[in-house]
Amino acid sequence: MDRVKRKNITLWISRRSTTFSESFQATRFLAPLFLFVALFILLPVMGSFVDSLFLDVTFRQRKFVFFENFEQLFRDPAFWGAFRFTCLFALVSVPVETFLGLMIALVINERFPGRDLLRACVLIPWAIPATVSGRIFELIYNYSFGAANYLLEALLITEEPVNWLGTEMEAFFALVAADAWKTTPFCAIILLSGLSAIPEDLYQQARIDRANFAQRFFRLTLPLLKPVVIVVLIFRTIEALRIFDLVFVLTGGGPGGATNSLSLYAFGYFSAGDFGYASACSVVLFIVAFAFSWIFLKVGRFQREAI
Amino acid sequence: MNEGRLKSLLLVIGGIVTFLVPLTPFFYMVLTGLSEHHDFLSADKSFVFTLSHFHAVLASESSHFMAFVRNTLIVSAASAVISVCIASMAAYAVTRLSFRGKMAFMLVILALSMFPPISLVGYLFKLMSGLGWINTYQALVFPYVAWTLPLSLWILVSYFSNIPRDLDRAGLVDGCSRLQILIKVIFPVAAPGIFSTALLSFIFAFNEFMFALMLTTDYSARTIPVGIALFEGLHGQIPWGEIMAAATMTTIPVVILALIFQRRIIQGLTRGAVKG
Repeated sequence: MDRVKRKNITLWISRRSTTFSESFQATRFLAPLFLFVALFILLPVMGSFVDSLFLDVTFRQRKFVFFENFEQLFRDPAFWGAFRFTCLFALVSVPVETFLGLMIALVINERFPGRDLLRACVLIPWAIPATVSGRIFELIYNYSFGAANYLLEALLITEEPVNWLGTEMEAFFALVAADAWKTTPFCAIILLSGLSAIPEDLYQQARIDRANFAQRFFRLTLPLLKPVVIVVLIFRTIEALRIFDLVFVLTGGGPGGATNSLSLYAFGYFSAGDFGYASACSVVLFIVAFAFSWIFLKVGRFQREAI
Repeated sequence: MNEGRLKSLLLVIGGIVTFLVPLTPFFYMVLTGLSEHHDFLSADKSFVFTLSHFHAVLASESSHFMAFVRNTLIVSAASAVISVCIASMAAYAVTRLSFRGKMAFMLVILALSMFPPISLVGYLFKLMSGLGWINTYQALVFPYVAWTLPLSLWILVSYFSNIPRDLDRAGLVDGCSRLQILIKVIFPVAAPGIFSTALLSFIFAFNEFMFALMLTTDYSARTIPVGIALFEGLHGQIPWGEIMAAATMTTIPVVILALIFQRRIIQGLTRGAVKG
């Protein structure tokens, strides 16, 4: 569906030759967007690249130090801890969320009474601030009176309360679960759009060919959904690598720095006024995010050619 | 037949899980906000209904919750309106005018939305400090507008490209300027799309945390996400009841929006993402 639409746009573009007056008009219409984007996105990002090469601490003389910030960064075990956590978090949470999102999308793609209400319910966790959901989960994970431990003990799964936010392993999975609760809806909605774009005739044909439920899913739905899945993976990975709000509220990077993310690590130095060092860390995150999306794009294209 | 029954069984189970999992934490939140003891799940405590936490959040001077609400609404609404106006001008140019490097332009704009916000926050802080804007609405509105523009543009381009071009040709023949066509012809036809876009920008600005944390210092511009994240009790203990009361009051309007505009939100999200 989308491919057809994009082709139409391209056709429409190429049909007309550029005239001077139109380019001029276009420039005028695009100018406000250019201005905002340049001043508040491009310039700040370039600024962070420049700052990363300077010793730039509040109330001190700004000095060009070349790669010294990076050297210092790469020598700091806390940075590598944050690097490891950020990558691991993205690698674990994104597949989980995409899988759960697919399950939800399959449910809310069917026709049944109350479907619109269910879709609205699914949307709610996505639509609230991450700090609010972080606070709710902070309470749920509370060691002495949280709902998580209450539930586990009521169901006789554990006898001792679990120290969710106080031990490394548990804190990691607590964060993944809280993040999955908040962001799976996004995956579900995007995948739903992919599902509803698959023509019904194909399923009818498959039924005539006596393909069973599983065959229809694995041979028909999944391959047709692959481009949308890749879009979800890219979007979610980029967002997961940025993780900040939830960690800030839920663990503050603890216990002992085990859940410190790159954004949180850099933010600490920004708020302390060490702009050069913090910028160096943000540059690293920037590069990691681009590397991840590049890999996904490569893998995605490769698989499309293989089919 | 058997397969059909299995499918409906799976559907019912899936439907119940899909319904309960998103909502249960909210029930817990509301209950804690309404309970006298935040630890009502413990064996030796029980649930006692009270509105005192809501009252405390709304009435107490020190919580500044109403100030946070006002700040958030002003900042989010301003960001959404400005973002949609600027993005629709650009979307008009992209779909109606020819200029060189259009596809490259769209892809660059898309790539911008992939930048991690931490890369912007240091420079924005310096910029806003230099302008003397720290702790003002404009310190948040300008970055929010810029940050929502890529998504707004992509959604609006997809809506605008579906509007028949004969409509605006008729306008051109009648001697309207391009801007008049955008306002008088495109806006009314694309109203649903423009509304979806504005809604998504509003939700984004409403939820944004990192910029708001860095660029505000107290209740005169601080937004709800920051207020809730930094909510502290007077006596060192975490005031769970009050936090959950505040969280409930934040969530209610979002729930209402989601219930009323479910279709619009889903459509907007889908158009913004799948096009990429």
